[in-house]
Amino acid sequence: MTAYLVRRLVGTIPVFLLITLLVFLLLHAAPGDPASLLLSDNTSGADVAEARQRWGLDRPVYIQYLKFFTAAVTGDLGKSFRFAQPVSDLIAARLPATIELAAFSILIAITLAVPLGVWAGAKPNSWMDNLGTSFGLFGISMPNFWLGIMLILLFAGNFHILPSAGRSTYGVAGSRETGFYLLESMLQGNWTAVKDALLHMAMPALALGANMIGILMRVTRSAVLEVMHEEYVVTARAKGMAEQQVLWRHVLSNALIPIVTVVGLELGTLLSGSIIVETVFAWPGMGSLLIMGVTSRDYPLVMGLVMMYTAAFVTINLVIDALYGFIDPRIRY
Amino acid sequence: MKRKFGKIIFAAAFILLIAGMAPRWVAAQTRVSIGVTETMETFNPYGDSVSLLYGIWCQVLGCLGTYDFDKEKYVGMLAERWEVKEPNTWIFHLRKNAKFHDGSPVTAADVVHSFNRIRTDPQSKQKQNIAPIASATAIDDHTVKFTTKEPTAPLTEYLFDRFIVTSKAVYDKYGADVADRKYPIGSGPYKFKELIPGERFVITKNLDYPGMKQKKQAPDELIFRVMREPEQRVTALLNGEIQIAQFIPPHLRERVEKNTGTKIVATDSVEIMFLAMSPKFKPWDNKLLRQAVAYAIDRDTIIATLLKGEATRLDGPIGRGQYAYSPNLKPKYEYNPEKARQLVKQAGFPNGLDVDYYTPVGRYTLDKQISEAIVPMLNAVGIRTRLQTPEWATLWADVQAGKTPFYYMGRGSIVDPSVALSQYFETGGSPRIGYSNPKLDNLLALERQTFDPAKRKKALSDAMSLITEDAPAHFLWRHQLLYGIAKDINYKPTPSGRIFGDDIRVLR
Repeated sequence: MTAYLVRRLVGTIPVFLLITLLVFLLLHAAPGDPASLLLSDNTSGADVAEARQRWGLDRPVYIQYLKFFTAAVTGDLGKSFRFAQPVSDLIAARLPATIELAAFSILIAITLAVPLGVWAGAKPNSWMDNLGTSFGLFGISMPNFWLGIMLILLFAGNFHILPSAGRSTYGVAGSRETGFYLLESMLQGNWTAVKDALLHMAMPALALGANMIGILMRVTRSAVLEVMHEEYVVTARAKGMAEQQVLWRHVLSNALIPIVTVVGLELGTLLSGSIIVETVFAWPGMGSLLIMGVTSRDYPLVMGLVMMYTAAFVTINLVIDALYGFIDPRIRY
Repeated sequence: MKRKFGKIIFAAAFILLIAGMAPRWVAAQTRVSIGVTETMETFNPYGDSVSLLYGIWCQVLGCLGTYDFDKEKYVGMLAERWEVKEPNTWIFHLRKNAKFHDGSPVTAADVVHSFNRIRTDPQSKQKQNIAPIASATAIDDHTVKFTTKEPTAPLTEYLFDRFIVTSKAVYDKYGADVADRKYPIGSGPYKFKELIPGERFVITKNLDYPGMKQKKQAPDELIFRVMREPEQRVTALLNGEIQIAQFIPPHLRERVEKNTGTKIVATDSVEIMFLAMSPKFKPWDNKLLRQAVAYAIDRDTIIATLLKGEATRLDGPIGRGQYAYSPNLKPKYEYNPEKARQLVKQAGFPNGLDVDYYTPVGRYTLDKQISEAIVPMLNAVGIRTRLQTPEWATLWADVQAGKTPFYYMGRGSIVDPSVALSQYFETGGSPRIGYSNPKLDNLLALERQTFDPAKRKKALSDAMSLITEDAPAHFLWRHQLLYGIAKDINYKPTPSGRIFGDDIRVLR
């Protein structure tokens, strides 16, 4: 297992190289000059030229890439053009917001989709199956930005029961040393802040996770359907085991491989979806930072964020692969 | 049956739990939240150049002065008065009772220190605000001398609302980063409370500031919340999460007005919208053709229909309330398609001509829709127009480099038009339009060197008259800034978009 993980880790190096090179080239090929976009309308031509020189934009692209890559290898992602702060600091400040939102989305998705999928798979063509399938289709079909706006209009605009934007209510949250509002509030036992964080997270998490709920529900249903006809399930039933026990102990545990694979794949989609959802809900995470970086051609910031997203994708896939061995002991690396 | 009943009870309990968990969105008695569109990312008061942050830092850390739109003149804040000793020498006298929030006095050394930070701080994005100044010197504790590189009559346009004064002592003790993050001690009517980058900026009332104790209705706390989407700001306003929503687009006005607890308050913006026609490109080197464009566009109809009346027509580069505004600039360019057709023919295009017209999309209020309305108006007079809609970053880079011949654009932050006129129309200014006229250059140089306000206004007016007649740009309108405001708040927005807490009155 360890050898396999090391092999996989080594294999990520060319992935990083290729992705950073590709994104770097695409960014530089895109029209728009960071200096003219970021400096004030009153800025003189001399100041624009000075900024370009300070940011190294007057040098050939391949030199700029080499400079970026050699620094990135040592953990230095450079300084944001726009905010003049280390990119790693900017990411560190925003990362907890994105992780917390993504984690909550996954939690909602798994909690809703897996039981629905199991029930639908266990009783195909029943009303429960039809309901679950429709629910799944709805989740898959809804673009998350649209769903987000609809949720805002409904729960904030009409029912006034959820806040429309942001991460916390001023004056409610406690200490924010780590940036993980929910986790920190729970550890502090500050239940008012926990409630506030949950209320702020409910709509963005649902908008972000809706697609995953749909897909996961469908995959769980078909995996359960497939396993339901296996001989060991028939045997378990023949032994007189209760249906619920058969379903959760024998069927679900054997249907887990495709479910976990989809969770892994969808986590990647979830991260990219957060870019839009964070903007819709004014969620101060990495996604909204990336939008700002792209629109202002803040090359170091975009590169740093893309590297973070790449690292997240690679890590998630690695973890999922490692999990296979635990879920199904027959799988050996 | 029992099981079904249990499920219903469970569902009902869940809904009640969620409803019960919802906080009461009633703000504290004197806490006002404002949904704003610009970003707030840096603790360094010199690290960004957005008008919202200038306004916040100005009322927290302090600034030399501001433009009073009601009085139509610059008024001092930290500066009690100022004078021009010689054409290149400005003397600013600081208020002697000005104190930082820690009780220490604000001195000329702090102003000089701030000047140096703007000039040398590696994070500074505000160098353009001190561009005309060669040096700053403390004459005594309360007197500062600015020496300009050349006579600059509009110096207050550069400095006021833009020159943030920070404490030298705090900087010397802690260094830039710690001073900015942990000790944002200023001298303004509000104090720094909290900044969460990308999320909110909270400031609290400073009762030690002269006159603040008497302003009992000014909010105790002001929370600026980043909400970039207009739908989001309106929903938050109707939901009671915020009490003031910046920049409501025309199509959402009705939603705010229909709600019993909110109202719309409008003001003219200091941003001017115009069509640029760069004379360095053919066919725009032809003045008659440029004038034909001006006569071809029915601005009044666009304002009345598309913009629902929420814009004010411009008959020259600037409008009422902006410095040196004159209502008598000529020609007025009333909508006259027949005259436009004649001008196109006189310009040497008897069969009309084909042009490309560039517009931003989503940058300004209804920019694409406005351009879509302009295109048929131009087509009707023989200027066959192809509408081009590049992404903003591409368009702006091309405009900045002087590569776009014909485009729709806005220029913000114009109180005194001197800087903007020079930037867009003076020979050697930015290449955005590429216009050059020695007569205009002389007028602009003259206004910069003229310190007598009446004579300077005359020179500016002459310059604007020349630009209007020569039409390297056709000035269209100023959008109205619509603010959604809770009915228990009294606030008159400023054309610059600056939001000062002591201009807000909480009526509840």
